[in-house]
Amino acid sequence: MNRGGERRLRILELLGGQAAPGLGTKRLCEVGAEVTGMTGAGIMLMSGDIPRGSVCTTGGVSSLIEDLQYMLGEGPCVDAWQQDRPVLEPDLANPHTPRWPAFSRPAVEAGVRAVFGFPVQVGAVRLGALNLYCDRAGPLTDEQHADALVMADIAAQAVLLLQAHASPGHLAAELEADGDFQYVVHQASGMVAAQLDIGVGQSLVRLRAYSFANNRPLAQVARDVVARRLRFDAGTGDGRQE
Amino acid sequence: MPREAMLARALVELADTLVADFDVVELLTLLTDRCVEVLDVDAAGLMLAAPEGDLRVMASSSEALRLLELFELQAQEGPCLEAYRVGLPVVNQDLATVNGRWPRFVPEAIAAGFHSVHALPMRLRGSVIGALNLFHIEPGLMRQADIDAAQSLADIATIAILQHRAVQEAQMLNEQLSHALNSRVVIEQAKGMLAEREGLNMEQAFARLRTHARNHNARLADVARDVISGALPAAGLGRTLPPRHA
Repeated sequence: MNRGGERRLRILELLGGQAAPGLGTKRLCEVGAEVTGMTGAGIMLMSGDIPRGSVCTTGGVSSLIEDLQYMLGEGPCVDAWQQDRPVLEPDLANPHTPRWPAFSRPAVEAGVRAVFGFPVQVGAVRLGALNLYCDRAGPLTDEQHADALVMADIAAQAVLLLQAHASPGHLAAELEADGDFQYVVHQASGMVAAQLDIGVGQSLVRLRAYSFANNRPLAQVARDVVARRLRFDAGTGDGRQE
Repeated sequence: MPREAMLARALVELADTLVADFDVVELLTLLTDRCVEVLDVDAAGLMLAAPEGDLRVMASSSEALRLLELFELQAQEGPCLEAYRVGLPVVNQDLATVNGRWPRFVPEAIAAGFHSVHALPMRLRGSVIGALNLFHIEPGLMRQADIDAAQSLADIATIAILQHRAVQEAQMLNEQLSHALNSRVVIEQAKGMLAEREGLNMEQAFARLRTHARNHNARLADVARDVISGALPAAGLGRTLPPRHA
């Protein structure tokens, strides 16, 4: 068997039949981090130009990496998705070429020192991106890079395989179980749209702007809206804490 | 052009289809034409298994051969069918001496002018998707180098076809995934809008949407979209079940 095949087999063995119908997707991310020697991993779903949500993450920091990209629309996964190639940042705190001004600071503050995004796709069919991060700066070795490519490929096939078993018109239960598709943000968009008598798309923009201006995670702002701790005033269009 | 160069060019041509826009029939016709040019055979034909499992002729280097292959399929016998079923090459069959092996195929082949027949499986690892049929007018053995070259051409075509199918299926699943996620998003947005307008929590809003959908035999996502667009007013939506009939 060629080296690529061996690599793939090794990763599939680690998955050990997980990410199969009935089980969640978290193991996919855990194996992603394990196999590449990274501190954490996550898989983002994207479409059009934007993140749609998370298939899984290994934990808090990886979730933050994804939430930031979801809120800001910038970051390694966003770039990997838009440019259709791996995006590598081995030293987020002191980058060779500065990029992602809004993403980098909170990520570094959370302990991210190196971050990498790999497109998740099957041929020309694009699903999103795999993000890997390390709490120490440094580039991926050739081995790690090769493993990441195979992992991204397996992730794409696993997600589609899970969806293949879903009831028609619904997201697969396994994807719902460990995924985070930002439902609370969409609920909040609906509420703010009614509060301000604007469309839901505009309403999402308002929520993002509020999050950014107040330096708070979008999901947290959304939860406040849903819990009616935060309203948007029809008169001023501003958010007001209740 | 020397034979090796022709073979190399044919392989590159086929490999090109792996990255370019893909037409299966075009690929297979190309394959059969190149076989005749490069391999010193007189005719080539190719069959692929349909979803139901029966072999269908997909391409041939001549119309006369096509008829022959149609016959082969109908008769349910012949080297091509054997190669497909067993997944192994069936080569150097001198039709004058295979007495009894393919009782209906052989006389038809000889009548068409062919005296030597070979079939190579189109396979990748465990999957056999069809077979490549090669015909000679003169009896005699096909050189091993030519058999190997033919198998290479068949192998590339197999990879291209399987890859294309995989991508098509992936595309379909991705669309389903996207559609399912879009529906979910719209439902959550509608919950929020209804909750705000009617002073409800999310569970209550969801129940109202579901009730309305049931009462009107509509899909939940469609109801949600109408609420978002304003086509369905929030006031009183889904408040009551339909009255029981006496």
